Amino acid sequence: MIDAIIVNGIIFGSMYALLALGFTLIYGVSGIVNLAHGAFFMIGTYIFSVLINAFSLSIPAAWSNLTALLTVIITMILTGIIGSIFYRLMLHQIVGDDLAILVVSVCGGLIFQQLVFIIFGTLFVPVPSLMKGNTTILNVRVPNGILLGAICSWLFFIALWLFITKTKNGKAMKALSQDREAAMLMGINREKTYMLTAAISAGLASIAGILIVSSTTGQARADIWLQPLALSFAIVILGGLGSIKGTVIGGFIFGFAEKIVAYAVPEGGSMVPAMPFIILLLVLIVRPKGIFGKRIEMED
Amino acid sequence: MVVKYFRKAYTRFATYIYDIPPRMLAFLLIIIFALLPVAQLDVYTLTLLASANVMAIFAASWDLLVGRTGQISLGHSVFYGAGAYGAAALFQSFGWPFWMTIPVSILISAGIALLIGFPCLRVKGPYLALVTMSIPLVIAYFLSYFSEISGGQHGLPLEGLLPELFPGLAFADKLKANYYLTLSLMAISAIILYKIANSKTGVTFVSILDDELASKACGINVTKYKLMAFVISGAFASLAGCITAYIYRSATPPFFDLSISIPPLVVTILGGIGTIYGPLFGTYIYFFLDGYVLKKIIPVASWQYFGLKWEYAKLLIFVVIVVIFIIKWPRGIAKGTVEKLEDLEEAREIEEIEKKGDKTE
Repeated sequence: MIDAIIVNGIIFGSMYALLALGFTLIYGVSGIVNLAHGAFFMIGTYIFSVLINAFSLSIPAAWSNLTALLTVIITMILTGIIGSIFYRLMLHQIVGDDLAILVVSVCGGLIFQQLVFIIFGTLFVPVPSLMKGNTTILNVRVPNGILLGAICSWLFFIALWLFITKTKNGKAMKALSQDREAAMLMGINREKTYMLTAAISAGLASIAGILIVSSTTGQARADIWLQPLALSFAIVILGGLGSIKGTVIGGFIFGFAEKIVAYAVPEGGSMVPAMPFIILLLVLIVRPKGIFGKRIEMED
Repeated sequence: MVVKYFRKAYTRFATYIYDIPPRMLAFLLIIIFALLPVAQLDVYTLTLLASANVMAIFAASWDLLVGRTGQISLGHSVFYGAGAYGAAALFQSFGWPFWMTIPVSILISAGIALLIGFPCLRVKGPYLALVTMSIPLVIAYFLSYFSEISGGQHGLPLEGLLPELFPGLAFADKLKANYYLTLSLMAISAIILYKIANSKTGVTFVSILDDELASKACGINVTKYKLMAFVISGAFASLAGCITAYIYRSATPPFFDLSISIPPLVVTILGGIGTIYGPLFGTYIYFFLDGYVLKKIIPVASWQYFGLKWEYAKLLIFVVIVVIFIIKWPRGIAKGTVEKLEDLEEAREIEEIEKKGDKTE
């Protein structure tokens, strides 16, 4: 049982960290608490499901791994475009107004939910696993698709870290998060950087959506977005807002907590869907500063 | 030329309306609403108006909390559901009479609001919104987890429907009784909420919204007033939940849904946030759009185009309206109109002063 908790905790923890990464990124750079983050998670699963169905008809099954990879990349790009359009259309005019941002982003999530409901209806759509077969780690049999998810997450952490520290756009994002006005005085295009951040954030959420949904329930519906939203919020607060390292650590803590409840608590499996909310409540009520003691900066 | 004439006529008309004292205007509106059933309305309209009255209470309570103290709650359904379950449990399990269950379940919900409010007040802004959004969801999970007590997905039945309390009445009269009951409760709660919002306490609430630190420095016990807003708002929200449970004959887990907490937000932003009359106006506009325009004139829900599921388009339309309002016209309809009238009044006064000045010269 302990083996299962450790292996699954690490695997799911890295996927949860990937989910929360986009949330913390957009908060850190622009100060937007984007409650529509969960909606991008949901949109990612839908686009993936539709594309992989379309590809599986036209591309031979022998190339299924390649097809899956291609689909994931296309999904990420498409969701990224949707995310930046969403920022530009709805959030761009009200940056800085907390109440308006909250209401508009919740409304954005609902808009996406209702659009998906209108197009696809309330039936669950299948989100197939990325790879077939199993691998045994520490006497625990892990499906290859889930393992791939964990590896993918780590690749994305490294890619994001490299992007932020090495490229010009990434450095612009970092500069904006440190001091907005000074960064703009140095000639950084704020709007462009915010749109890029929104796109990356949505893209990461969509990848996380594909990985998490395909390795847990394997099916998606338009109203699944609240749970990942609460999850990413809980992780981000746990690890300290706007800090990427803290988010990754928070994701792991969360993954372990969930797996401990699932394996060690009797009949804990039925409580797993409520876990994000319960942990969110506990963190916010008991220790709103987060575990690492970062102060929440609410007022300037 | 024509436009100028119309503008002048509108200005004159608007200033006449502004001259009526607000108390009189409210009284007139209540009388008009009370006379509505006389006009031989059909069953559908009467039911719609009754649920609009309930929603008005709910939205006004949300506005007192969010618009006045700035504590964003996206989980007001917690009080709504608590009221409904409280009434159902008292009515069904203990066999209390209808008139007793409502005040007692309001008191219970106020207690719950106090319990929730204490930890919630440690967080602010987006954190508070997320916490309040999570609480009803957790409660809904627990309700289905402990299904022996709560009745699980089917909830608690509530067989004594409101109109059944007046036995021997015809169906149409029962509907009217229902309507009058909701209307009177709405009027009473709206007056109480308006009075609270414009009393010294209400001004203190606004001072907390404007600047919490400065209010603290002025010696205001911020925590006490925030809790007070939470409890008052929760009590009125639970009243709305109680009545709805009586109308729908049951209290079920969907009473805690996020989709319950969204309409008050929609109508408050439509009407104008921070005023108590704003959500009231917004509610009737919302129900007019929802129950009449989108049902009879543009029946979105029954469209069949392109093989899409248009029954979900309604919420989409309202949410889009809210987004447009927040971005383009954040003052809302009622608040915007009142502010415009105030401007016109000022302009008229200035005009009069100028005229006098001309004569003396």
